[in-house]
Formats: sequence, C-alpha cells, structure tokens
Amino acid sequence: MSYYPGRINEHFLNPRNVGEVRAEAKAVIGEAGSLACGAILRLSLEIDAERQSIADAKFKAVGCGYLVASASVLTETIKDVAVSKAAQLSESAIMDWFEEWPTERAHCAALCHEALLAALANYHQAAREEWAGDEALICTCFGVSEKRIEQAVRERSLQTVAEVTRACHAGGGCQSCHPLIVDILEDYWRTVEAESAGAES
Amino acid sequence: MRETVYLDNNATTRVAPEVRDAMLPYLSELYGNPSSAHTFGREMRRSVEHAREQVAQLLHAADTSELVFTSCGSESDNWAIRGVLERRPDKRHVVTTRVEHEAVRNLCERLEQSGYEVTWLDVDEEGLLNVEELRAALRPDTAVVSVMLANNETGVLFPIEEIGKVVREHSEAIFHVDGVQAVGKIPIDLRGSEVDLFALSGHKFHAPKGVGALYVRAGLDLAPFLIGGGQERGRRAGTEAVPYIVALGAACELAGSFNGQEQIRRLRDKLEDAILAKIPNARLNGARDRRLRLPNTANISFEYVEGEAVLAHLDEAGVSVSTGSACNAESHVSSAVLRAMNVPYTAAQGSIRFSLGRYNTEREIDYVLSLLPDIIGRLAEMSPHEIKK
Repeated sequence: MSYYPGRINEHFLNPRNVGEVRAEAKAVIGEAGSLACGAILRLSLEIDAERQSIADAKFKAVGCGYLVASASVLTETIKDVAVSKAAQLSESAIMDWFEEWPTERAHCAALCHEALLAALANYHQAAREEWAGDEALICTCFGVSEKRIEQAVRERSLQTVAEVTRACHAGGGCQSCHPLIVDILEDYWRTVEAESAGAES
Repeated sequence: MRETVYLDNNATTRVAPEVRDAMLPYLSELYGNPSSAHTFGREMRRSVEHAREQVAQLLHAADTSELVFTSCGSESDNWAIRGVLERRPDKRHVVTTRVEHEAVRNLCERLEQSGYEVTWLDVDEEGLLNVEELRAALRPDTAVVSVMLANNETGVLFPIEEIGKVVREHSEAIFHVDGVQAVGKIPIDLRGSEVDLFALSGHKFHAPKGVGALYVRAGLDLAPFLIGGGQERGRRAGTEAVPYIVALGAACELAGSFNGQEQIRRLRDKLEDAILAKIPNARLNGARDRRLRLPNTANISFEYVEGEAVLAHLDEAGVSVSTGSACNAESHVSSAVLRAMNVPYTAAQGSIRFSLGRYNTEREIDYVLSLLPDIIGRLAEMSPHEIKK
C-alpha cells in the first residue's frame, strides 16, 4: 500500500513541471506559503502576451506529497489555457481531479490555488505598471487601452462587451471595466448615428 | 521482491521469536489466575514471579519486589508522578524537562493547569541538560523530579546518576526516571543509584505491546493508581496479564544476554557518517559526542525539504523511518524536542529519525544509503530555497 492514495502518490513520486520556466521568458511568479504547515510553493508561468494564454507553467515546492501532487496537476491543467480561464479555475478543481482527496489536506490544494491567483495578480500588476501609453487604460487585467478598444469596435463594428473581449481580451479578467467598455460602445454608436443623421440631412 | 527495512525501533520493535515462544503456552493451556489457590493458579504465580526476577535482573534492582507490572510505559510514568503527588499534598512543585515524552510532558501540563507549579528545564542546541540549572530549580516544596534517561527522538542521554545525587543532596524530592527508551539499548544499574522510580515498556525491546513495569524503590510510599483487588501486593489492582508479563520477563532476559549492541552502534555510525558526508543539506540533531546518545539512534534534518516527503519516498522503497514533522490541517506540529533544542524551523521540518535494532543488517544500511542521496537530492531540487552545495 502506498503512502499516499493512488493518483496522489503517482504525481508525488513523478511530479510534472518541476522547475522554472525558460530563462528567456519573462517569468510570472506566484508564491504561497503556510506558516501553519510550513509548506511553500513557487509557481512560475510563461504568459504569451499575444494570445493572453499560459504558454508554460512550472513549480518548486517544499511540502508534503499532497502539495507536490496538487502543484503537479495544477501546472498540467493551466498549460495552454487562456489567462482569463485560468483565473476562473475553482478552488476545488485540483482536488476534484484526484477524486480521493482527504478533507484534512484541503489546505495543501488551496495553497496551489492561492499561488496561481498570486501569479495572475502579479501579471496584471506588471501589465499596469508597464503601461506607458498616454491614453487611458481600461482593462487593467490585460492592459488594454481605451484607444485599442475603440479601434477594435470601429474596425469590427462590435456591439457587445463579450464581442470586445473576444476581439482584444479587454474585460476578460476581473470584469470591473465592463461599465467602461459599455460607455465606449455607446459613445461610438452614438457618434455613428449622429454622423449618419448629419449625412442624411 | 520489494525490500523492507525497519528503522523505526524507537517507535516499537518486532516481538522476538524467543519471547513469542515463551508466552505462547500462556495463550493456551496455561490460563490460570495467579490469585487462585489451586495448582493452575500457583503455577501462574510462579511464572509472574519468575518474570519479575528477570526484569529486576536486567535493571539491577536491589530487590525483586521493587518491580510492579503495568500495561505500558505511559501508565508507569503517570502512576509514578501522580502516585508521589497524592502522598505529598503539601508539596506542589514539579521539576521536569521540555523534551520529555508526552506521557510525562502532557501530564505535567495538566498538573500545571490544576494548580501545580512546574519548572521546565531547557536543553541546549545538542539536546543536553544543564545539571546546575536543575539544582537551582529544586525547592523545599518540590515533590518530584521527572527526567528521562534517553530521549526518544534524538537518543540523547541524560546523566541520571549525577542528577540523582543532586536531587538527593539538595531536596526532599522523589526522583522519577522515564527509562522507556533506554531499557534494552544500554545497561541499566539501579542498585547503586538515587533513582526512586523508573518506568519501562516491553514493546520497545521485543516484548509485545501492552505490558510495562514501574520500579518503585523499596520503602517508597507510592499511592496506588488502579484500585481494586490486592494484586501486585496492593500496589496495582487488576488480574495480572500473565502472557504479557511472561513475555516481558523473557524480553528482559533476551536483552541481558544480547551481545550485538556494538554491531548496532557500528551500523548506526556508518549510516550517520555516510548521510552527513554525502548529503549537503543534512545536519545532525542531538549530541555530537556519540557517547552521550543511545547507540541505535540517528536524528538527522534535511534542510529545506519536508520530512513527510522524505518519509513517503523511503516508505515507497520499503524503508520505515519516522519524522519529527507531523503535518495536518490544524497545525504543523514540529517536534517539541527539536524546538526545545532551537533547531531552525527549516531544518526541524525535515527531520528524520533512524532507529536501529537487533535485526538490522549491514546490507539494509547499504540499501538505505544507496537510496537516500537521490531522494534528498530530488526533493532539494524541487525546493524553492537556495541550497548551498
């Protein structure tokens, strides 16, 4: 009988994605630790800015087999996944994947989720800080400016927030900018209407 | 075939075949009650008394009647301390150390909660006790001093001969020694000592679980713990667990005639030396002077890795050890013993206790040494900490 239950033991003994993302990539780091249990987890993500998706995910950890196994599966799960989708991963998703996760070790899996959210927060923070443009930044999660949203709306005649998100990622994260995007859409279409009315008269 | 290597002999030991053979008849045809007057009973009485002699002999007790059988080491420790306190209601002070086994430590914490005053003696970074501090802690109202002989986690030995003299000279306190982890591993000689009470447990040296004994110096007035019939000369009620008592006696005789202690010591030294030499983040917990430790124990921390992970990897390879780091939802209970020794958190977390016994072989030690550097290396590589090579 193995020390940990089946799949947990398998990932503990052969953890996937141990290490750091490639040196050339601008690593996005997310760390989480627990004073109560002494575990530390360091996630390192490579994010493809064009596609706004996680190109690679690696981890390093000091902790029990539950932590190692959940980090192993988390990194497998979020690879090639859109940043906005990764942010929506539920806290229990990793535990659910294993099917036989003991409740007294829920904090180990929770630590993984915490590290993921920390990494994504760091990514968004960095995007905001790097923002050097003059025009207003609307979507801080993905660093999308007002100008870029307007351009997308104009070029593709976008009507809804969902269409804007699909076109340029704006609004795909925390969603706090949705009212602003609605304003941009309304402004654009009001202008279009006014212009066409002017052309008719 | 999967190799199995048992290196957790401080937790418990395998019942020796000699011990099992000695107790087996008492699980079948020899079933009398030692208190019965008939032949069946008298035969049992003789067996119990023979076992008592065997135990007394191993401890070098002055008199066989100084030994009382109990159910385990914890019972012996609890009885010793509570039995003294009950007889000395005017004395409300207890002296003990921060590194005692839970049987003493948790009992003393309870005593503290119920109004006793407890002096907790510190140990240094090697786990050693300062006898001068102990002397200074003694007071006219000190009822009992309770100190272990050998530490279960680190194997560090306390100088009970010297402590006994200090207690006797500077106080009226009764001196209790938790000898559970020492009996069967090092020679014990109570005859010339100042030890008043001495606890031992059978399963730590190849008797089955469920039997222990308490040495009570002749003439010491100890209140009984279990009240009932007049068994054990009125000191501990309850029909004697004859098969287990016979087994304990046999285990004591076996330990007394054992001449492999030097081999155990040699294997422990080999294991310890090789680990400390081969593994960069390994550090010893406990006295560096091995004469101040049990010959079978090596407690080693692997810095920046989690003990449970090391344990699980070794377990996967068939090797049984224990860790001082117990991880659960409520708390990460790092060992109170290592905390008392000021072992840094990052090291205490990765502490592994290797405790050898009479059945371990050189081949087994070589097997463990062939696995360990790789296991620790992989875990260290996974660690986000920078580890100096």
